[in-house]
Amino acid sequence: MKIKSSVRYQFNGDRLAPQKGTMRPSGGDSPPPLCPRFQIPHRGRGIDIPPRPFQRRTSASPASADPFRGTVAAAEGDPGRGKYEETQARVFIAALPHTARLGWTESALIAGARDVGVSPAIVGSIPRKDAALVEVIKSRFASPIIDQRDELKNELKDLTLSDRLTKLIRIRLEMQAPYIAKWPQALSIQAQPANLPNNFKQRAELIDEIWHAAGDSGSDFDWYLKRTILGGIYSTTEVYMLTDHSPDFRDTWVFLDRRVKDAFDLQKTVQEAAYLAEAVGAGVGNTVKGFMAGIFPGSK
Amino acid sequence: MALQRTIRKLINSQNYLLPRGAAFLHSHATSFGFTEVNEEEKRKLVGNVFSSVASNYDLMNDLMSVGLHRLWKDKLISKLGPFPGMKHLDVAGGTGDIAFRVLESIRGVSHKAMHDSFAETEGQTQIFICDINPNMLNIGKKRATERGYTKNSYLHWVEGDAEALSFEDGSMDGYTIGFGIRNVTHIEKALAEAYRVLKQGGRFLCLELSHVELPIFKELYDYYSFSIIPTMGELVAGDKESYQYLVESIRQFPKQDVFAQMIVDAGFQAVEYENLVGGVVAIHSGLKL
Repeated sequence: MKIKSSVRYQFNGDRLAPQKGTMRPSGGDSPPPLCPRFQIPHRGRGIDIPPRPFQRRTSASPASADPFRGTVAAAEGDPGRGKYEETQARVFIAALPHTARLGWTESALIAGARDVGVSPAIVGSIPRKDAALVEVIKSRFASPIIDQRDELKNELKDLTLSDRLTKLIRIRLEMQAPYIAKWPQALSIQAQPANLPNNFKQRAELIDEIWHAAGDSGSDFDWYLKRTILGGIYSTTEVYMLTDHSPDFRDTWVFLDRRVKDAFDLQKTVQEAAYLAEAVGAGVGNTVKGFMAGIFPGSK
Repeated sequence: MALQRTIRKLINSQNYLLPRGAAFLHSHATSFGFTEVNEEEKRKLVGNVFSSVASNYDLMNDLMSVGLHRLWKDKLISKLGPFPGMKHLDVAGGTGDIAFRVLESIRGVSHKAMHDSFAETEGQTQIFICDINPNMLNIGKKRATERGYTKNSYLHWVEGDAEALSFEDGSMDGYTIGFGIRNVTHIEKALAEAYRVLKQGGRFLCLELSHVELPIFKELYDYYSFSIIPTMGELVAGDKESYQYLVESIRQFPKQDVFAQMIVDAGFQAVEYENLVGGVVAIHSGLKL
């Protein structure tokens, strides 16, 4: 390996400044004394920047040789952090087209890193690689519904509530259609215990968005019930879609339609059952009162 | 040399009783364990240490860490995440432990299944092992032959100084240094060289013996370090001095936070560290962007 002189770059606050001249001495000279380049107290901003504090962050991964552990990360908000997150985002987005062939795996991320022009070693620094990739695509799916809420309102205002819900869920699931080949893998990744909290959060937000777009702005007592039922409908339809081979997923939409109608029917059924119980209860109550009056005459 | 030994013995017996602050008056570049030496001399003295421990290095590692060093190195590799086609540099990697693990990880069966699309790039994998001490490199080459890694030319053994690497700018995907940065005279130079040779997106990982802060465990660890390890060195390797240097150099090395700040100062981003066994070992990692 030849020793060569080159222009070096030094991290100087938020920009890279080239350092001219060679750094390595020629021949067999002893290294020069510690030159000013290696003393990096000032970051060229003209003010005294205190040393960057570190935040404590507890590590949550299980497998290890020992019980004692601690991790510390550089403070958020310093310029380097932003660049890291931006590069990470670019790698994720570049990795998405590769998932059709490579699945939701590290390989897709490595291919994405190569496309961006960054060394694939960056993938090693991403925690929960496959899950992070799945979460990225889910948030990309979610944004159209949020951004186009107003246009959707116009489309939906002539429909009944059940039709509105059907249409919104269909719009969302159609976005998943290009990735359907490897979607079972994505679902299984999300079902892993480490990834469940994020999964629940994203789904809850999605269902909330759908209800809002469908025009439900109330916060009455059956808010949880509505979201639970819709969440159930969404999940079962998603799973049904995995094995649906009809053209344009026709069978899935029929399935979805039936499920939503069932839910509304169920609601009516539950109400009717409640009335019935009330009536029966009232009837029984009268009977008991009469009986008691018969046994203990004169009592109230 | 005799005078130095006497001075060291004197300082040794007192330093254990001295408050921590006094011990850190020596800066890293001029400290050889608890002894103060010239900068130029430190390199020679460290060289002598490793020339004499080379033949028993792996055995002593196993004894001193009760076999745990293998798990620590495995953890380092799992953090690195090697991939086929990677250009990796292992500095101070003398006997090849970390380099072999990287190679195994890339060639491993499960990885083959995952990376079947990268079969063509697997041939481009290059792992460089750089060490300043030729004795350590020879031991490593011998072990590589024994394990049959010499068939494809994935491993390259290079003699070189961590403070002045002979590799080109932006040529490495990964840089690891395991239990070596403690022995470097100027840590900042080694970090700057690491930054230089890494590509954009390249990762820096350092596995090193570090400082323990947990109250009772610390006393036990100090007792183990200063009383048991040098004795073990005497019995097994016939070399108490080198192992005394070893445990003293651990105490002289900057603490986890200070070292992490030095890595940040060298230009790395997303710098973090993880303590293993309560701080006996720490893995620092950084990313070049």
